[in-house]
Amino acid sequence: MLDREPSPPEEPCTGAQVVLRDRRIAYAVTDRNLRVQQVNGALQVLQSDAGSWLGKSLLELVPELFGSEDALKDILAGALPRLEIPWVNRDGDGGKTSYLTLVDLPCKDATGAIIGLIHVMHDVTEGGVLEQRLMQHRNDLRLLEKAQREQNAQLLAANIELRRLDEAKSTFVSLAAHELRTPLASITGYVEMLLDGDAGLLNGAQTEYLYTIDASAQRLLRITRDLLDVARIESGRLQLSLQTANLRDLLVEVAVEQRPQLEARSQQIHLTAADDIPPALVDPQRTIQVVSNLISNASKYAPAGTTITVNLLEAGDEPGFLRVAVTDEGDGVPPEDQSLLFRPFFRGTSAQITGMPGTGLGLYIAKSLVELHGGRISLESRPGVGATFAATFPMAVGAP
Amino acid sequence: MISLGAKVCLLGDYAVGKTSLVRRFVYNMFEDKYLSTIGVKVSRKVVAVPRDDDVVELTLMLWDLAGSEEFDRIRASYLRGAAGALIVCDLTQRSTLDSIHEYAHQMSEVNPRATLVLAANKCDLVEQRVVQEDEISAIAAELKAPCYLTSAKMGVAVEEAFRHLGRLAVGQ
Repeated sequence: MLDREPSPPEEPCTGAQVVLRDRRIAYAVTDRNLRVQQVNGALQVLQSDAGSWLGKSLLELVPELFGSEDALKDILAGALPRLEIPWVNRDGDGGKTSYLTLVDLPCKDATGAIIGLIHVMHDVTEGGVLEQRLMQHRNDLRLLEKAQREQNAQLLAANIELRRLDEAKSTFVSLAAHELRTPLASITGYVEMLLDGDAGLLNGAQTEYLYTIDASAQRLLRITRDLLDVARIESGRLQLSLQTANLRDLLVEVAVEQRPQLEARSQQIHLTAADDIPPALVDPQRTIQVVSNLISNASKYAPAGTTITVNLLEAGDEPGFLRVAVTDEGDGVPPEDQSLLFRPFFRGTSAQITGMPGTGLGLYIAKSLVELHGGRISLESRPGVGATFAATFPMAVGAP
Repeated sequence: MISLGAKVCLLGDYAVGKTSLVRRFVYNMFEDKYLSTIGVKVSRKVVAVPRDDDVVELTLMLWDLAGSEEFDRIRASYLRGAAGALIVCDLTQRSTLDSIHEYAHQMSEVNPRATLVLAANKCDLVEQRVVQEDEISAIAAELKAPCYLTSAKMGVAVEEAFRHLGRLAVGQ
């Protein structure tokens, strides 16, 4: 490779030395055999003393040039103007990384002939450290974003699956309830015919048993009706048939309907309503269902011989709404149950202790129906003092 | 014994474990903390590689390259004169498979005779694995490259992957 003796390059002036040191640039000048003839500039960049460089092959001293032999030959041949290797990492003092940019250029004599290489080492550690930190933050952020995207995709998939399962559950509940209603209607119909004596006279025991069958069948019918309502509510298929109605009349109707159940527990119902209550805009059947559920609930959890009070008045804190409040004289609702009471299938502590029959759907359905009307349902209760469940319903348009 | 040298590059997306593989292979060490590499870090390791009836003392010059996309433009300049590349992907990040072909293409553009070995890293993270072995095998078959399921953390198949690359480089 060596085909001529190198002539030493011109010594840099003091000013140039100052600039090189300030910019942390060192350089080595080689002959055509790539043997170092001279080193200069900011010598600390060499990471060894200058003397150890002299006379050695550049390829030995700079491992990053391994593999670039052909490119260096091209520079010596004048076929390649320069070779640059940016952002070279080196182990610096105290295990810290230093960064260098390496550049190889042709070294020419006064005639312009290429007599070797100038290998420039620019210490760019200051910028490199900043660049590394920036890259670190970017990559950490990218990893976080990637993890977030994957987590979101998993949540989305889980959500879709949950919805599918929920729809399947609602469909099953709806189908099961429908299928139960037909034979139940048949049972209650035939029981009624038997009780009416259509199949002949009944003795006392037969009559008693038939009433028991009828009560159980009626209970099953209520459960199937509730399950169908839940399925409709959850699928958004429950629609109201709104009309102007006198809420007081509806409450009286409910009180009459509920009387047998209350009398069975020696309970009384006390209805209070102002005379000038304006008409409401409600679905009468659904409103009756709401109030029935509230009264039935109050009756279940209040002791025998107590009074259930139903109060109708304008909702002071909700202009344009009427408020129906059902108050019992029971033990009240424990604070830990209060926020859970309107969830489907929730059975309160007292229901579990007393073994009171029920599906845990009544209050959920009541809440859903009230909210479909645009109103809201609430509970006030203190242990030992009873509970008041209140539902609000909209006044008819134009009502005061 | 013949002494040879070979420049081999580590290619792959950021955070797949390129630097960790080099650290495990050269220093038998592992650092859990992820530190992004900018530019290139060159390390050296001498291995004995069989060739014909002889043994070659091979100095592997390992070029650990930045995986971040910001270095895509200058990556080709680092590949000059490389005898081979270890292309690394992460078994816990499916997206790191997407660019394997691109890295292989870059390598063959600069060095048409370069040999490739595929390392599917982080095989120790079994719970987090989202890429299956047959997927890696299929990609490796397309590239005609041997593949290894590696773990820089546990030292699984790291030595084997680099030595295989060394043998292929010596055979060139």
